[in-house]
Amino acid sequence: MPIAKVNGVEIEFEPGMTVLQVAELAGEEIPRFCYHERLSIAGNCRMCLVEVKPGPPKPQASCALPAADKQEIFTNTPMVKKAREGVMEFLLINHPLDCPICDQGGECDLQDEAMGYGRDDSRYVENKRAVEEKFMGPLIKTTMTRCIQCTRCVRFATEIAGVSDLGLIGRGEDAEITTYLEQAVASELSGNLADICPVGALTHKPWAFNYRPWELKKTESVDVMDALGSAIRVDARGPEVMRILPRVNEAINEEWLADKSRYAVDGLMRQRLDRPYVRVGGKLVEATWAQAFAAVAGKIKATAPDRIGVIAGDLSAAEEMKAALDLFTALGVKSIDCRQDGSALHPKWGRESYLFNSTIQGIEDADAIMLIGTNPRIEAPLVNARIRKRWIRGDVLVGVVGEQADLTFPYTYLGAGVDSLKRFVDHGPIQKEKPIFILGAGAFARPDGAAILAMAAEAAGSMGLVKDGWNGFNVLHTAASRVGGLDMGFVPAEGGKTALQMVEKGGADVLFLLGADEIDLGQTDAFVIYMGSHGDAGAHRADVVLPGAAYTEKPGLYVNTEGRTQMAERAIFPKGEAKEDWTILRALSDELGARLPYDTIEQLRDKLITDHPTFGQIDYAPGHASAAAFDLMAVGEKGETTDAPFVSPVKDFYLTNPIARASRTMAECSSLHAGASKMAAE
Amino acid sequence: MFIKRIFTWWNGATFGALLTIAQRGRYVGEDDFGSKYYEAKTIRDGDAGRRRRWVIYKGYAEPSKVPAEWHGWLHHTFVEPPTVAPLKVRAFETEHLPNLTGTRFAWRPRGSLTRGGHRPAATGDYEAWKPE
Ligand code: SF4
Ligand code: FES
Repeated sequence: MPIAKVNGVEIEFEPGMTVLQVAELAGEEIPRFCYHERLSIAGNCRMCLVEVKPGPPKPQASCALPAADKQEIFTNTPMVKKAREGVMEFLLINHPLDCPICDQGGECDLQDEAMGYGRDDSRYVENKRAVEEKFMGPLIKTTMTRCIQCTRCVRFATEIAGVSDLGLIGRGEDAEITTYLEQAVASELSGNLADICPVGALTHKPWAFNYRPWELKKTESVDVMDALGSAIRVDARGPEVMRILPRVNEAINEEWLADKSRYAVDGLMRQRLDRPYVRVGGKLVEATWAQAFAAVAGKIKATAPDRIGVIAGDLSAAEEMKAALDLFTALGVKSIDCRQDGSALHPKWGRESYLFNSTIQGIEDADAIMLIGTNPRIEAPLVNARIRKRWIRGDVLVGVVGEQADLTFPYTYLGAGVDSLKRFVDHGPIQKEKPIFILGAGAFARPDGAAILAMAAEAAGSMGLVKDGWNGFNVLHTAASRVGGLDMGFVPAEGGKTALQMVEKGGADVLFLLGADEIDLGQTDAFVIYMGSHGDAGAHRADVVLPGAAYTEKPGLYVNTEGRTQMAERAIFPKGEAKEDWTILRALSDELGARLPYDTIEQLRDKLITDHPTFGQIDYAPGHASAAAFDLMAVGEKGETTDAPFVSPVKDFYLTNPIARASRTMAECSSLHAGASKMAAE
Repeated sequence: MFIKRIFTWWNGATFGALLTIAQRGRYVGEDDFGSKYYEAKTIRDGDAGRRRRWVIYKGYAEPSKVPAEWHGWLHHTFVEPPTVAPLKVRAFETEHLPNLTGTRFAWRPRGSLTRGGHRPAATGDYEAWKPE
């Protein structure tokens, strides 16, 4: 390996690294504005100047300079300091002095670097230039006068998000970042623009002027808006979550976050269930906990267990599902289901049959990708970003069976439905090392889902997706709670009904919903008990409402689509009289005379982990570890299929769960998006 | 009543104060609330080189009962007491009002439970769901 000297200290580095990376390796921090680890190198801000020997006797931009063997790098000489001070002064010629009213204040790269390299006064008397504001949609607020033309945003939009909506036009003093047509940035990842902008030119519009970064309490947690479980940081002030930002997790979200996960936070403050309700004479009236429990317990005791149904929703944590499972199983209830979308996945076919086995990071190794009945762009934007990242590197086949949507990268369209999938059943091994299937809910969440699952598994077997050291059979879930539910067996017992059967007319006499809002309750004539955080479809139909906590208000375990168990933390407290969901079930179990054997969340987790050991492996995704034991032929049930095309169950990316539906920001995005796609169709 | 005078200082002046004022003081005047003001006849060591001035409250001892003109004199801001050099009362001035904290008339912000508990919306408030 080549060796360079950084400030006189020798350091070994990988060939191909830049001088900046080598200096970082040696522990030297290099100031930078345009350089970003995950974007291409632009080299236009000149803040990263260093001195290199051998080389011309002038400072060099370290981010764009490949490091060479036996190079000497100096990052702290007077020349370097002077050069950086000069760059900083140039940058500040036209930068407004509006830090006191700038939302980036306190977390601004320019502010920070100015502490080290800024002059204490200005030598300029000329007017500063002014740049017109640009419209970038409801999520990104622009103050383009602050822009320092680092072009990070342009590079992010074209490289990661895959939309060519942003560009730099003009030269010299007239250079401007613009969306060309004053249109919203058409990406599900647009919030990241504000994150990567080193100054306050791009900030978060929904949160504008609402907080200062230093007054927020930061809690590291896990996102539940999709099934990926992206790492997030919940920033709260008092009882309100002010914002959600991504944390770095290379295995899942790198350092990006989808817009829904980020901007649905205002939904946490609206439509909240903050007290129990009981339906009296056809109307829901406020009640005390005791009254609500009495109503629930009376009804459940008076009903035969096989007429009771329990459905878990998309945002439930493992704790409350476990509590519900234990409680209702003890009562003899068989109709228990966590698959409110009617999907056919079932734990009896092995854990691998419902996991994203290649892991999300594994997408980067894949050399052939087939998307079946899924539109990852709206179901899991960060998976889509990974596929795009893989596609940019080249030499990969991407095929789609299902909807022909714009995925931000080109692909081979293989057909719309079952017939196209059937062609692959006896396809034979393909000449690729690491092929993967990504199977979406569009394929398995339908009446013939089990048959399609069997067909896909057979195709996967024939094409050689599962082998030693590789498991390319991937299921992409759409709900944060689903894998956890399947892992603990939150599915109908022998003779029990599935979620869709329970909500049919006469399907059950009592329905207990754990935040299940996406299931159609129009037909059921049951007595509905709804436990959840938001007043949505479920609460409207309910006969008893038990107010629970949203995901920022309770600690909880969530298992993501890869089978990775992650722990979410409480950032704020539940609203009003609401309680953490598992405690409600614990209290109810007392009323029902079937006391659950745990009083603290630790005891509950102990029981959960003893019963289902996979929950004990925090942050571990099995990946291909069990590929050898995975029998593809056993997955699904062969049977009749219809030729209906695969359609993604996510109709509107911005409105998939009760929190997002309560959010004004999401409503605005959704209507804008609907308008834009209508315009495109015309 | 007598017991209270001995053991408390807020139900009128204490006997010590009355004694000192009777010995050393000269009566100066009385304000609208009936409190009486005195000034020392001599300057002693420890008086900071000026004549001490006293007030004996009528009823409950409460410093905010001292009106502005006497307050100034008492704190040596004015040389002459208002009996000699009255302050000019301007049209916009209102009557002196002692501090009402702790009384029934104390100020309670909107949102205080004693005023109905209705406060304007603030950050951190959530919107509760209401059926129908
Ligand atoms: S808007 Fe921000 S990210 Fe984009 S070029 Fe300007 S400073 Fe850089
Ligand atoms: S970081 Fe090197 S030129 Fe901008």
